[in-house]
Amino acid sequence: MFAPETARNITTQSNNQVVKRRTFLRTAGISVAGATALAGCSDAEQTEEGSPTATETDTATETSTAARTGTTTGTPMAERTLQVATYSSFTGEGTAGNWLKSAFESAHDGVTVEFVTPENGLNQYILRRQQGAPLDVDAYVGLNTSELVRADQELDGSLFATPDLERAGDVKPELQADPRGRAIPYDTGYISLVYDESEVENPATFDTLTTDPYRGDLIAQNAQQSDPGRAFLLWTIAEKGPDGYLDYWRDLLDNDVTILSDWEPAYQAYQNEEAPMVVSYSTDQVYYHGEGVDMSRHQVGFLNDQGYANPEMMGLFTDANAPEIGRQFMDFALSPEAQAEIAVRNVQFPAVEGVDPGAEFSQYADEPGEPVTFTYDELAGNVEGWIEDWAREVSA
Amino acid sequence: MAWPSSDRVVFPVGLLATLLVLVTVFYYPVGRVLLAAINPGGTPLAPIVEILADPFYLGVAHHVFADPMGVPAGVLTWLADGAPLSAVEFGLFGFTAYQAALSALASVALGLPGAYVLARFDFWGRQTLTSLTIVPFVLPSILVAVGFQAMFGRTGLFNDLLGVVGLGPIEVLYSLPAIVIAHAFYNAPLVTRFVTSAWEGIDAREIESARSMGATPIRAFRDVVLPQLRPALLSATLLAFVFSFMSFPIVLALGGLELQTVEVWLYAKVQSLDLEAAAALAVLESAISLAIMYIYLRYESGQIVSHTGGRSRSRRSLVAGWRTLSDPRRLAVLAYGCVAAVVFLGPILSLLIESVTGPEGAFTTAYYEFLLARQASTAVGTIAPLTAIRNSVLFALGTLATAVPMGVIVSLVATRSGRGSRLAETLLSAPIAVSGIVVGLGLLQTLVFGVEVLGHRLTVTGWIAVVAAHAVAAYPFVTRNVTPALAGIDDRLVETARSLGATRFRALLTVTLPLIVAPLVAGAAFAFAISIGEFDSTVLLAEGGASHTMPVALERYVGNRSIGPSLGPATAMGTVLLAVTAASFVVIDRVGGRYDG
Repeated sequence: MFAPETARNITTQSNNQVVKRRTFLRTAGISVAGATALAGCSDAEQTEEGSPTATETDTATETSTAARTGTTTGTPMAERTLQVATYSSFTGEGTAGNWLKSAFESAHDGVTVEFVTPENGLNQYILRRQQGAPLDVDAYVGLNTSELVRADQELDGSLFATPDLERAGDVKPELQADPRGRAIPYDTGYISLVYDESEVENPATFDTLTTDPYRGDLIAQNAQQSDPGRAFLLWTIAEKGPDGYLDYWRDLLDNDVTILSDWEPAYQAYQNEEAPMVVSYSTDQVYYHGEGVDMSRHQVGFLNDQGYANPEMMGLFTDANAPEIGRQFMDFALSPEAQAEIAVRNVQFPAVEGVDPGAEFSQYADEPGEPVTFTYDELAGNVEGWIEDWAREVSA
Repeated sequence: MAWPSSDRVVFPVGLLATLLVLVTVFYYPVGRVLLAAINPGGTPLAPIVEILADPFYLGVAHHVFADPMGVPAGVLTWLADGAPLSAVEFGLFGFTAYQAALSALASVALGLPGAYVLARFDFWGRQTLTSLTIVPFVLPSILVAVGFQAMFGRTGLFNDLLGVVGLGPIEVLYSLPAIVIAHAFYNAPLVTRFVTSAWEGIDAREIESARSMGATPIRAFRDVVLPQLRPALLSATLLAFVFSFMSFPIVLALGGLELQTVEVWLYAKVQSLDLEAAAALAVLESAISLAIMYIYLRYESGQIVSHTGGRSRSRRSLVAGWRTLSDPRRLAVLAYGCVAAVVFLGPILSLLIESVTGPEGAFTTAYYEFLLARQASTAVGTIAPLTAIRNSVLFALGTLATAVPMGVIVSLVATRSGRGSRLAETLLSAPIAVSGIVVGLGLLQTLVFGVEVLGHRLTVTGWIAVVAAHAVAAYPFVTRNVTPALAGIDDRLVETARSLGATRFRALLTVTLPLIVAPLVAGAAFAFAISIGEFDSTVLLAEGGASHTMPVALERYVGNRSIGPSLGPATAMGTVLLAVTAASFVVIDRVGGRYDG
């Protein structure tokens, strides 16, 4: 599956990497307060073997580090580990994460990918950097634009480096949210309504949602803690403007919208027929089709012919221990093959132009006529105020 | 030869160890977080003042802090307007306290009759039922939400039942009553368990002598029984209030954001890394909880009635043939049984049904097959259910073994006379009065990230840290159960033992402990329950696979998409969790019961 050409590539790249990494560590060592932790890895390319002190480490069980030996070149190449922080459902049996891990490992001899799944996501690393504690990871998978804004707002220097990927240019332009090219989208979802067509008609516009026939019909999520919830809120801001969205939400609240904590309870409530519409993803039918499934309950409704794009992004930490492997990993995730796999396994659309995730996915996943999303610059300095004002409006 | 007597060693060493654990996994981490509000970058206390002066948080009371001089004039204007009540807003804190008070009342209303039934009637399976009362206490909120939706939802079991008798349907979800009932579901077991153990400890001879002196049964109840129940009842009510006051996930799951509490807001502040505001909210929240606790403890110390132990009263049989249906007391008990079945059994039963029901309503074993598949899988990032069960039980046993001695030691401190001991107990009860979100953040920022000590970054993680954190969360339950009983022991008993030459430690073991077995066992069961249900500090402090406990597995299965997005696998794991904890509670009570009487 992986041509010899790939292997040749790796040999040259990894030689490169040793050099780059040393220069990098020299510069990074100064700026990081927790120098004791860095000292352990600055002397060799060998990453620490023991289990890191980070929270929640899911250490590799299927690929034993010791069993793999570098065979590519005459130079003794130590095994190297790429530590990837991500959300917990990205890894596990049959997931996009585990596929990426094993495909990348088979293409790169001696490399091991380990996933770390901190419960508080990116905040873990923002706080660590603030306190001068070692990050213990190289890359982050599962970023969104608001989180990147928050990281920049909280920290003096950037948490992420610009990785200069070969394939960075392949990403759909409308998904490229970070003007500095640090956060690289690898897939995207589109927020839409999912509704029961035997109970309601597709409201089709934002304004219809606040009318009487739709009273008590919508379940949404808390924008303070839920991804689709925040995306839906941002969509209303994109539509009604920062000056008009609170009025719009007042109307929605008067029309008895229910706002639950997160996607799971909201969708569960929808399935229990508590309401005939729920804020969800336009890939809904990919999950729910087949024999005996009542498809009338899985209709995707875009509003104003739009869908809010919620790209999932990855980034390379500025003081990564293995920046070059990280770079290769990210480039690999943008390859057409990986893009198709990620799309199917994550049930999200590919981020790269012209990738075909297969007939079944394409048949059941709906793309909006007009994808909308806020860019980094539009969110910076605004998003937290928007969300707080909204939460106060809801609670009042 | 002068060995130091065990008094000089055991008690001080135990107290020192308790304090060391508390400082390491509680006071220091929490203090670090709260300091952000007390001593921020700018003016000291500014974040707290900012919240106090914000009508969103404090409603009408914010004027006191925003413009104290203008308050009298404001009140006059309001009175001149005819004192319209609609103009009085209570803010986020007001609403939070209001729903907590309702929840505490509901917990008493549902829990107290349960204690009466369990303590005064005999029926088949009574002991097991007593052990199982605290099962709701360990259920992760996501499961309670699933159970409540399936029970009380628009298409839920309860409405189906109402439909059979031609009533309904009713809609309770996403409203204040739903939150209050859910809080009662969690906290009524506290009331039942605390009061049952106090009731069982009442000496039958006291009542008999009151009766023989001519007291009516009601009079005897009021003069003898009630004073001995009151500390346990109020203690449990207080805990129910404090827990409901700081409740978080269940509020959003069953009420929605319009009914949010301070804790929901605090969580959002932590998420957006506005740590000063988060700390300020936590300071106020804990100050309120601790103040109420202190006032209560002062009151409690004046309420203790000393008793000497003795013979428990005999229970009357619940079922008495046909007479059962004509006896108003037994009928009332049966009616209560029906209510309890709806509120407690209903959601749990619905949860079990959900675990074998597919998305289209048909019977399925897919969710249990999912568990088996996790067990067989070797893929990275997979949690095996058996590993989760093993870890949970080991942590819980460790917690029980740590929290029970800690709790007894703190109770001994609390029952020493002197004004300071009330304050000491209040401060030592802080683990139940501080937001779990703050504890988690504190642990992260200190033990997990590490603290610089002499140029080395020191981190404290691993299973010992997990057990310590669980024990700190759990021991106040031991203390709250044991303190009232301990304070009630007649001093003369201990003095007699001491005068016969027993050391204080020996007197504790041979005289005191046997008199407090029932509350001790209840406390131990709660300690076990707290550990089994704990999530936040487990995922923070455990390393590698050790963090895979039952609630963690359950949370992972919620996010797992391998059989589509479904809460089914989580309900199956929840059923496993229920079975394991229910069995554990029965075992704890049986083992503990051997030492009773």
